Amino acid sequence: MLKKIFSAALLCIGVQMAAFSQTDPDLTGMRALGTPANPKVKWAWNYYMDYAGIMKLSQELVKAYPNLVKIENIGKSTQGRDMIVLAITDYKKGNADRKPGFWIDGGIHANELQGTQFAMYTAWYLAESFGKVEFITEMLQDRIFYILPTLSPDAREQFLFKPNTANSSRSGLVALDDDGDGYVDEDGYDDLDGDGEITMMRRKSPTGRWKEDPNYPARMIPAKADEPGEYELLGIEGIDNDGDGRVNEDLPGTYDPNRDWGWGWQPDYVQNGAFYYPGTLIETRNVKNFIYNHRNIAGAQSYHNFGGMFLRGPGAEEDQGFYTQSDVAVYDLIGKQGEKMIPGYNYYVLWKDLYTVYGGEIDWLALARGIFTFSNEINTSYRLFNKKSTEGRFQNDEFNEFDKYLLFGDAYVKWKPYKHPQYGDIEIGGSKKNNVRNTPGFMLEEEGHRNMAFTLLHAYHMPKIEIAEIKSKKLPGGLTEVTATIINTRAIPTHSSHDVRYKIERPDYVTLKNAQVISGMIVDDADLNLTREQKFNPQTIEVPNIPGTLTGTGGGSNYAVKVRWIVRGSADKYTVEVDSMKGGVISKTE
Amino acid sequence: MGLTCLALTGHAQAQTSYQSYEQRSSRLRTLASANSSLASVKSIGKSRGQRDIWLLTLSKGDAAKKPALLIVAGLEGAHLAGTETAIQMAEKMLANAGKDSIAKLLETKAIYIIPSANPDAQEQWVAKPRYARSENGLDYDNDRDGRLNEDPFEDLNGDGLITMVRVEDPTGTFIVSKDDPRVLVKADPVKGERGKYILITEGIDNDRDGKFNEDGPGGVHIDKNFTFDYPIFVDGSGDYAASEPEVRAISDFLYGSPNIFAVLTFGPNNNLSEAPKFDQSKVARRILTGPTQKDASAMEQVSKLYNSLGLKDAPAMPQTKGNFSQTAYFHAGRFSFTTPGWWAPKVEAAKDTTKKADAGAVATTPAGGGSAGAAAAGADNDDVRFLKWADREKLTDVFVDWKEIKHPDFPDKKAEVGGIAPYAKLNPPVNYLNETAEKHLKFIAGLGMQMPDVQIVNVRTESLGNGLNRITLQVVNKGLLPTYADIGDRVRWVKKVKTELFLGNGQSIVSGRKIILRNALAAGEAEEYTWLISGTGKLTIQAGCPTAGVVSTEVTLK
Repeated sequence: MLKKIFSAALLCIGVQMAAFSQTDPDLTGMRALGTPANPKVKWAWNYYMDYAGIMKLSQELVKAYPNLVKIENIGKSTQGRDMIVLAITDYKKGNADRKPGFWIDGGIHANELQGTQFAMYTAWYLAESFGKVEFITEMLQDRIFYILPTLSPDAREQFLFKPNTANSSRSGLVALDDDGDGYVDEDGYDDLDGDGEITMMRRKSPTGRWKEDPNYPARMIPAKADEPGEYELLGIEGIDNDGDGRVNEDLPGTYDPNRDWGWGWQPDYVQNGAFYYPGTLIETRNVKNFIYNHRNIAGAQSYHNFGGMFLRGPGAEEDQGFYTQSDVAVYDLIGKQGEKMIPGYNYYVLWKDLYTVYGGEIDWLALARGIFTFSNEINTSYRLFNKKSTEGRFQNDEFNEFDKYLLFGDAYVKWKPYKHPQYGDIEIGGSKKNNVRNTPGFMLEEEGHRNMAFTLLHAYHMPKIEIAEIKSKKLPGGLTEVTATIINTRAIPTHSSHDVRYKIERPDYVTLKNAQVISGMIVDDADLNLTREQKFNPQTIEVPNIPGTLTGTGGGSNYAVKVRWIVRGSADKYTVEVDSMKGGVISKTE
Repeated sequence: MGLTCLALTGHAQAQTSYQSYEQRSSRLRTLASANSSLASVKSIGKSRGQRDIWLLTLSKGDAAKKPALLIVAGLEGAHLAGTETAIQMAEKMLANAGKDSIAKLLETKAIYIIPSANPDAQEQWVAKPRYARSENGLDYDNDRDGRLNEDPFEDLNGDGLITMVRVEDPTGTFIVSKDDPRVLVKADPVKGERGKYILITEGIDNDRDGKFNEDGPGGVHIDKNFTFDYPIFVDGSGDYAASEPEVRAISDFLYGSPNIFAVLTFGPNNNLSEAPKFDQSKVARRILTGPTQKDASAMEQVSKLYNSLGLKDAPAMPQTKGNFSQTAYFHAGRFSFTTPGWWAPKVEAAKDTTKKADAGAVATTPAGGGSAGAAAAGADNDDVRFLKWADREKLTDVFVDWKEIKHPDFPDKKAEVGGIAPYAKLNPPVNYLNETAEKHLKFIAGLGMQMPDVQIVNVRTESLGNGLNRITLQVVNKGLLPTYADIGDRVRWVKKVKTELFLGNGQSIVSGRKIILRNALAAGEAEEYTWLISGTGKLTIQAGCPTAGVVSTEVTLK
């Protein structure tokens, strides 16, 4: 009787859904694959959002998806802005903060705008795709994402709304005396022509050694060795505000929040940009506190630009030894797949392929916390014409060509005359702050999606633990031997080998419930009966690591962890629970 | 003045022992309020255990505007003698504030004192059981096994002190010392010695991991938590450099006080009896690990001053990883000196053993780590030396005689509790510190006399006619030490020597710069500056830097 009613109800729902499906764009050809066609939260992905935009989108996501998205305030920035983390998971399933966690942050370098954008795209995409894309649904059932859209919110606002170059407003806004004259931030850039951009200054001069590129007048090139030049270059737009004979020598900021982390930290004279000690800045301290309070975080992505790279640590050559072969194998698997997913991006090692960084965030995550971490350097000149340039990063003129044919001149400010208090009659013009580093609007959604896909692959490979088997065997004297086999079906182990070496995270606990355990042990080889007994508290066996599918132990033939108990009496079924900080909590009765 | 005397006398009678946090706090407050024109006390932050980290400032007038010395004690919580010495120095300084050398010191310099940098750890002195503790009040899983504070010390003989346990066992590697039967030393197979005792700290192995008392209350040893040469994942070093509020508070104060010329740390490291030597290979790399040549020579000069005060026979106590003393030099860019202040004098008048590496002074006293100390064998053994001195001085309460107990982890074995009492080796009875404080006050006053002294000299103005004037002057350091440590010129936060021109109305610079910055001026070094100024009337020239003082001179142009 009951059954009948139930199926009738089901039928009813089915009918309703069928009727509805004709109007749901996601179930029609209107859905461009991979993208929600009818999102609950509408958002355009071809411009850079400001702080208000981040807050608005976040709140709309919480409102539309209360069972998927929550906002956590992790503290205030130097100027008092709330730093928010979007915690995204299927809150209806499991204990959210005990699922393997994935950390994403954007915009630690505030002038590198895409990271924030892609972090927000990921939040939006996960929420909008849950229940529609099976991969995403499972991801949110099994994992939790902690997304910090901007680590340097003050400097991001400064970059967006104040005149800047492509490289200024990179750090936070703690006031500092850069030139040691006793005055603070007294000689920054000046937007002399009032166009909202800080560009370059040039002066027509018979002694100058520069000339205009005949193809692209915004571009200055050096005169040839055997010809006279037409212009002097006078540096970045500004005046000598404090009358000390120097121009633009004391800007806001000028330290680096990505040199403020507690691994391999070095002072400013060794590592330019460092402050007093790791965690001098409130912004990085807020993140550290959050990460220590969320020991379930097993993977992390810290977005940067520029150059098209998937970077892993170490940042310094002397730390190579901390990245062991088995940990590197995990990075290799994900990084090499990434090279296919984002054409033009390369999988690189930070110190070797880019430059040395002491006290950087990714080393802290990887080596102080044992979290497998990538940092994507978003955007590459490859993407201009989908080919590799033979020129260097800032030398090549492809940006000018791209500007001419695809941006219609939007990337450069035309030279305009200006009367300068120190230099006299000059001209101001050149590259806008969003040129080169920051992805143009029409390419932004694609690059965001590809970066997100890479990060989701990374998140997919966080540990997924299963109890493959619970076997029991009668022993003489009324005793029973219970053996559990535990596997991790993904590439990332519950503890990196660096973590195991330094005991960063506590061991994984495997507990036999409701049994009178008199002895417990780890089984090294079940066939040859090689075991190691754990004398203290044998009910809960402490396993240093549950390796993933990439483990090389035992010739790679067997990656299971086996534990065994000797119990008094016998039962039909036994319940085993695995409790892993980075692998989650599961149990099985068999 | 009468009040001051009263306060001092009153306390001197009361104090016969080391103090608790509360006693110390009120002592500092009393001292400051009784000397309000010269002294002030404020909190620069809280420890993990929510105790204030006190800063005592001694100076006549605005301290921030004067070159300063910073004295820090009690970073190593087991070192109470440093804390007591630092406070006694302050008391003596204030009691003698009218006298020549001290008056001049307080007139021209500021003295900052942080007497107890690690108050959580020091409080174990008055807690039960008493043991030499280095770690602050953070709840921390010291042995990283996932269990918190599961294996603390236990007072097995009920005497309120944590000492050692020796167990007769065939696997033991210790024997009784030939030089002193109270002391245990490692058996040396080369000398035909076979071990007899297992030596462990006083307690049981609660979590049965084979280690004794490796995870009691307490978290981070803050003198392992500073940034220079920070040791990763060792017991007491914490999760990462500067993770602890004590470290941040002290660093914020030091970095935020550009007038601090030098730092003196009282603790179990010594770079004063013998100054660190210059080693080219240590400064040739991007990361410096030794002093620069100029600084090594200044340190040698200060070391000479120190040794001239009769502070003899100091044990060699090399710098340790992640400590404040080295961080203050290598990272904050200040001269940094460190000494235990007091040590047990050698009993026999014998050859100088300063250069020999002694066993660390706290090695055989149970500290948070719980490892059985590796005592050096023979007469140079630290424990033997200490007990010899204590016997001569007829000190009681420094040794707990070995006494048999029942030890649950060794049910059928002979186990005895005993050993040198906690704190005893580093911390003599308080009355011994009067002389220590006297001598170190002399050292501070002597250092103050050698500190840099920037002057503007040989000021000349020449009129070139038509309202154009040339000003020439020299900026000279008449002190005996450079304006700041040479390493300071690499450190972003150390202020350079600045000469600045403040023009009067209608004046303008025709030649020369308004602000001139330069590197440190060595002792006796001078630099000449010239300006061409158009206009007449008064103008002011200022020169100096926070570590050496800023002076100004007025010039009138005709």
